[in-house]
Amino acid sequence: MQAVGIRNRWIWSARILFLLPVALLFFFFFIYPFFFTVFTSFTSWRGIGAMKFNGIKNYTKLITDPTFQKALRNNIVWALSQGLIQVPLACLVAMILVRKPFGWRGLRTIYYLPNVISTVALAMVWVAIYNVDGPLNAILSGLFGMEKHNWLGNPDTALFAVIFQTVIYIGYFMIVLLASAMNIPRSLYEAAEIDGASTLVQEINITLPMLRGTLITTMTLAMAYGMRHFEATFLMTGGGPAYATTTMGIDLYLKMDALRYSEASTSGVFLIIMGTLVITLLRKLFGSSDPMSEMAQ
Amino acid sequence: MMKNSRLIAVLLLLCLLSPLAAQGQAESGQQKEIELRWASIWVGNDSKAPAVEALVKEFNTKNAGKIKVVIEPQPDYNAYEQKVRTSLAAGQAPADIFTIKFNPTTATFYQSDLLMDFQGKLDDAWKSTFDAGSLEQSTVDGMLKSLPMETAILPIWYNMDALKSVGVNTIPATVQQMYDTFDKLKAAGIAPTSQMTGDTNAWTSMIWFSHFAVSLGGPNVWDKPFTDPAFVEAAKLIKKMIQEYSTADAVGLGAGGSGGHFLAGRTAVFSNGPWYAGRADLAATPFFDSIKIGGLPAVGEYEGIMISRLQANICAASSKDAAKEQAIVSFLKFLTSPSSIAKIAETSGAMFAIKTDYRPVNNLQKQFYDVNAAASTTAFDLEAALGSEVTLEFAQQLGALALDRISAEEFCALVDRKIEH
Repeated sequence: MQAVGIRNRWIWSARILFLLPVALLFFFFFIYPFFFTVFTSFTSWRGIGAMKFNGIKNYTKLITDPTFQKALRNNIVWALSQGLIQVPLACLVAMILVRKPFGWRGLRTIYYLPNVISTVALAMVWVAIYNVDGPLNAILSGLFGMEKHNWLGNPDTALFAVIFQTVIYIGYFMIVLLASAMNIPRSLYEAAEIDGASTLVQEINITLPMLRGTLITTMTLAMAYGMRHFEATFLMTGGGPAYATTTMGIDLYLKMDALRYSEASTSGVFLIIMGTLVITLLRKLFGSSDPMSEMAQ
Repeated sequence: MMKNSRLIAVLLLLCLLSPLAAQGQAESGQQKEIELRWASIWVGNDSKAPAVEALVKEFNTKNAGKIKVVIEPQPDYNAYEQKVRTSLAAGQAPADIFTIKFNPTTATFYQSDLLMDFQGKLDDAWKSTFDAGSLEQSTVDGMLKSLPMETAILPIWYNMDALKSVGVNTIPATVQQMYDTFDKLKAAGIAPTSQMTGDTNAWTSMIWFSHFAVSLGGPNVWDKPFTDPAFVEAAKLIKKMIQEYSTADAVGLGAGGSGGHFLAGRTAVFSNGPWYAGRADLAATPFFDSIKIGGLPAVGEYEGIMISRLQANICAASSKDAAKEQAIVSFLKFLTSPSSIAKIAETSGAMFAIKTDYRPVNNLQKQFYDVNAAASTTAFDLEAALGSEVTLEFAQQLGALALDRISAEEFCALVDRKIEH
C-alpha cells in the first residue's frame, strides 16, 4: 500500500516536472502579460514613469474615438470576409481537387504557394499592382477602357483592395479542407451514384455535411485571423487614407508608437474581448457539430 | 564504488571551476576593460557609416585595454525606434549609447531614470562646441538627457534640367513665378512636385506644409492652435499642390514612391534633408549636377525662414558604475569633437549641431550649407514641433483633404484634436 503511495507521488512529481517548463513559459509569456495589459488599461501610462490609475477613462475615450470605431468596423469586415469568403472559396477548390482532376497536385501546390512567401514581399507586389500606373489599371483600361484609379489611395476602394489581396490566398484552409475531404469514405459517393445522384447533389449532401466540423474550425481560425489582422494592411496603407483601412491592431500599434501605452493596452483588451466574442458566437451557432466542443464533452 | 563516484564528481567540478578562478585572478591583476555597446543607426548603407566605423576604431585603438566601443548595427530605423521605446518601457536601456529623433513625443524619454543627464557632465569647453540653440531645444525641465548631434534643414530640391526644359532658368522667387513654373511643367507632361500622404508622417508633403505654415504664421507658428488661419491657409495650399501639381498616386504614396518619382525624373521639385544628397541612386541620375537647393517663395508675410530639425540626438544609459559613466563621456566627447564631426560630415554631407570649420566642396552638399547660412532664421517642421501622434493625424487626414472629403478647416480641427493643449 505504502509502495503504491510512493509510486503515485513519484508519478505526480514527474508530471509536474514535465509540465513545469511549459507552465512557466505560459505564465511569463501569456498570463502575466495578459493581466499586465488589463491592469495598465485602467491607468494613465506613457511607458515611462509612474502609472496613474484613471478608472475606465481609457475605455470611454476608446469607444467614443472615431478612429477606433472605424478600426472596429473594419475588423468586423475583415473577420466576415475571411470567414465567409475565403473559407467557402477554399472549400470550393478543395471539393474540386479532391476529385483529382488533371494536374491537381500542381494546382494544390500553386494554391498553397502564397502561404510560404513573406507577407512583406506579397504586400509590396500588391502595392505595385494597385499603383495608378500599375498592371491592374493597365489591364482594366485596356479591356474595358476604364479610367486609371488610385486603388489604395481612395478611401472608397482601399479597404476592398487590401482585403481582396488576402482573401484570394486560400491555400492554407484549402489544404486543411482537402485533407479532411480525402478522408470521406468513397463508398458514400458510390452509393449515391448508384442511387442516381448528380455530382452537385453528392457535394451538397455528402461532402459538405462531412466537412462541417472542419469548416467550422477553419472558419473560426479565419475569423480570428481577421480580428487580429495587421501586417498586410500596415505595409500597404499604414491604415490610411483617412483611417479607411485601419484595424484595431494598427490602432494599437500606432498608440504604442505615440507612447500611449495605457491606451494601447485598452485597445489590446478590446481586441481580446472581440476575438473571444467572435469565437464564442461561432461555437454557439454551430456548437453541435463543432469537433472542438465534441472533444470537450 | 560510491566513494570513487564522489571523488570523480569532485574532480570534475574542480576542473570546471579552475578556469573561472584563473580568469578571476587574471582580471583582478589588471584593469578591467570597459565595453560600451552602441546601438547605431549609422551602419550599412547609411552615408555616415564608414566615417563612424573609422572613428570607433580610432577610439578603441587609443583606449586599448581601457575602453572598447562595440557597434550594434541597427539598419532598420523603424525597428530601432521600437526597440528604444520598448526597452525603456520594460525598464532597460536599449544600449549604453543610442540615438533618438528628438521631438515632443520622444521627450517623454527624459522622464526615465535610465538615461544619463548630461547637464552635470557638460563642462564649459565641451558645451561650447555645441550650437547653443540646439542644446536649448534638447533641454527639458532643466534636464539634458540627449545631446544634439545631427541636425538638418529641410529645403526644396529643384531639378533645373526639367525647369530649363520649360524655359525656366532660376528657382521661382515669387508665388506667381512658382505657379507659372508648375503650370509650364504640367503642360510639358512633367508632374511639378513629389507629394505624398502615405506612411506615418506624409514626409515630403509635411515638409511643404511646414514651409507654408511658417511663412504664413512665422517661426513660432507651432505654438498657435492648429485651427489658426495660418494652418488653414497652409492646408489649402498643400491641397492645391497635391490635387493640381503632383503625380496621380500622391494620395497614399509613401516616401519611397515620392523620392522614386523625383529620381526617375517624373517630378521636377522635391523636398528632403541633406542625407538624401549622399544617395548613390541620386548621384546616378542624369540631372544630379543640375539640382538646386532652395526654399519656397514666401506665401505669407514671413520670408527667408528655413525649416529645420534635430535629426539625431545621442543618449547614454545612466550607470551606478562611475568608471563606466566616465568611459561613456570620454567616448561622446571624442565623437562630438569638431574634428570627428568634420570627418563624418565630409563623407556624408550631413549637418551637425556641433560647430566645425568644415565646409563642403561637393556642390550639392555645399548648397545645403549656403541655404542654411542665408536663412533669416530657422523653424521646426511639423513633426519636430508637435510630435508623432499629431503628424500621424496630419498624414491620415491629408488624404481626405486632397480627395475633398473634408475642408481645410475640418482638416485643421481634426489635427488640432490630437494636440495636447
